[in-house]
Amino acid sequence: MTTSLIKRLGAFSAVAFLVLAPLSVFVSSASGAGHTPYQTTRKNAGTPNSSVVVKNKSGVVISYGNSAIMYNAPSSKLVTLGQALFLENCASCHGVEANGVAANGTSGAYPNLVGLGPATIDFWIDSGRMPAADPRAVEAPRRTPRLTPVQALAVAAWVNSLLPSYPDIPTPNLKNANVADGAALFALNCAACHTIEGDGDALAEDTFAPSLRKIPAFQVVEAIRTGPANMPRFTGNLSDYQVRDIVKYVTTEIEHPQNPGGLGLGGLGPVAEGFVGLLLGVGILALVAFWVGERQ
Amino acid sequence: MSDVHESRTPVTLSGLPEDDPHLQPAANDPRQVERVIAVTFALGLLLVAGFGACYWIAAPPWTLGATMGGGLTLLGVGLVAWGKYLMPAGPFVEERHSHASSPEARDALAAAIVQRGGSVVKRRKLLGGLLTGGLGIFGIVAIFPLLRSLGPLPKGTLFHTDWRKGTYAVDSTGRRVQVGDLAVGSIVTVYPEGLENSDRGQAVDQTVLVRISNENFTTQKGRETWGPMGYLAYSKVCTHLGCPVGLYEQELQLLVCPCHQSMFNVTNGAIPQFGPAPRPLPQLPLYVDASGYIRAQADYNQPVGPGFWERG
Repeated sequence: MTTSLIKRLGAFSAVAFLVLAPLSVFVSSASGAGHTPYQTTRKNAGTPNSSVVVKNKSGVVISYGNSAIMYNAPSSKLVTLGQALFLENCASCHGVEANGVAANGTSGAYPNLVGLGPATIDFWIDSGRMPAADPRAVEAPRRTPRLTPVQALAVAAWVNSLLPSYPDIPTPNLKNANVADGAALFALNCAACHTIEGDGDALAEDTFAPSLRKIPAFQVVEAIRTGPANMPRFTGNLSDYQVRDIVKYVTTEIEHPQNPGGLGLGGLGPVAEGFVGLLLGVGILALVAFWVGERQ
Repeated sequence: MSDVHESRTPVTLSGLPEDDPHLQPAANDPRQVERVIAVTFALGLLLVAGFGACYWIAAPPWTLGATMGGGLTLLGVGLVAWGKYLMPAGPFVEERHSHASSPEARDALAAAIVQRGGSVVKRRKLLGGLLTGGLGIFGIVAIFPLLRSLGPLPKGTLFHTDWRKGTYAVDSTGRRVQVGDLAVGSIVTVYPEGLENSDRGQAVDQTVLVRISNENFTTQKGRETWGPMGYLAYSKVCTHLGCPVGLYEQELQLLVCPCHQSMFNVTNGAIPQFGPAPRPLPQLPLYVDASGYIRAQADYNQPVGPGFWERG
């Protein structure tokens, strides 16, 4: 097992020497950090228990969903490329078996990725959070992706081939979305952490809820369904139709906030607005009054 | 130098010779200042005209604000500068006449009152009585709201919610939550069935339902049956000041209150581990019925929300 993996390592891979240490062969026995497989018995909530299910010739589900969101499995042709990319970019922390066991035998520091489903892997890579700029950081921030979208899909395809799971890569259809329902659901489920303006805020233990402005629609679905890091997963408690409404709200009202005054001040609320009002308004008025009343 | 000092002494305007320094503009170079003010007025004029144009073509609101605000500001600045730098520098004084009446007039009034035995100023008992009555009644009426706010006593409403033995937990749409719905790490706000849209349901009964495991979970001794299949339910009303504790950090297993950052550990019965909250969030005992629905075993075993006098 170990030997065959070494063969696949690229010549420039920095992880090559790490693989020499003993590895756990049984993927399922490896412990991860916090994640368990995606599961819900509710219909139309991100699993093939959906209105529409498409299978390929060999009977494998390649696509499922409904009129709100379709979930597509990454092509199995990408698996080989995905493994090479994983060994090059991910294995030094997550281990060559993607089970969170680094080559020195330690586990728990980095999550077990096996069985998390393609959407989880795709979200972390495609939002630029992985490969991590600083693996020791409490929370990886969004940045320009290091891998292309296809490469992200390839890694997701390979990790998912180890233990197939859900959800697959979502494609929301916002045509019939109800933005008002989306706003109500956002207020109930998302605003507590991300704030009602979607600007994000600080949370406990040096973590933070990121800003939701300018996030591709499919990534919003991925985040809601898979619960990256400290974000809870929204599984059977939200149907695909409700998730679609939230996505509509996020990609319209939050991405393009209506600021009739032209300056939203980051949507930080009356404290920020009052501060600017006092500083600029009263400050400038004081200077003007001084100029008007000044004697020669 | 003495010239400058002299020019700052206030003088009366009338009778000054035309070449008096007080009558000269304050600016050293009035022509230059006039040109600056002219430019200011011209720009202001253009902006105000632009405001009209923006309004005509229904331009974005910020252009309306910018053109009108900018235009009026420039006109105002020019006006002030005109007054300050081009008008006679002054300073001038203008003496007021005395406000007091002449001693003769005051003496005559006093004499008239004395002469008529004070009858010029009559007592008017009717008016005085009505005024006193009005003010007195107002004073008594003002006590009413104070008395009314003392009762009726809330009695049991502070101690109990609408959760009962067998109450179904429903989400904000009224859908009953099933045991298979949530994956581990998921959260949903639930209400007693039928009250998901009521004020009391949303204010008092609101409960966060989190799933932290796939197996029965015990948070504290004596709560062995309260967390079936890893489902834990806590009151969403913060024990500090009653904010909705809606932030669930699934890796840290914390519920965080957005108002004052009180943090409650969901694994040990929501004991506060940071922040001003004085007590744990009450835990709602749950069970899974034969059809797989999440239901309450009973009401909360303690009052939800912030402390109050009768709670002790």
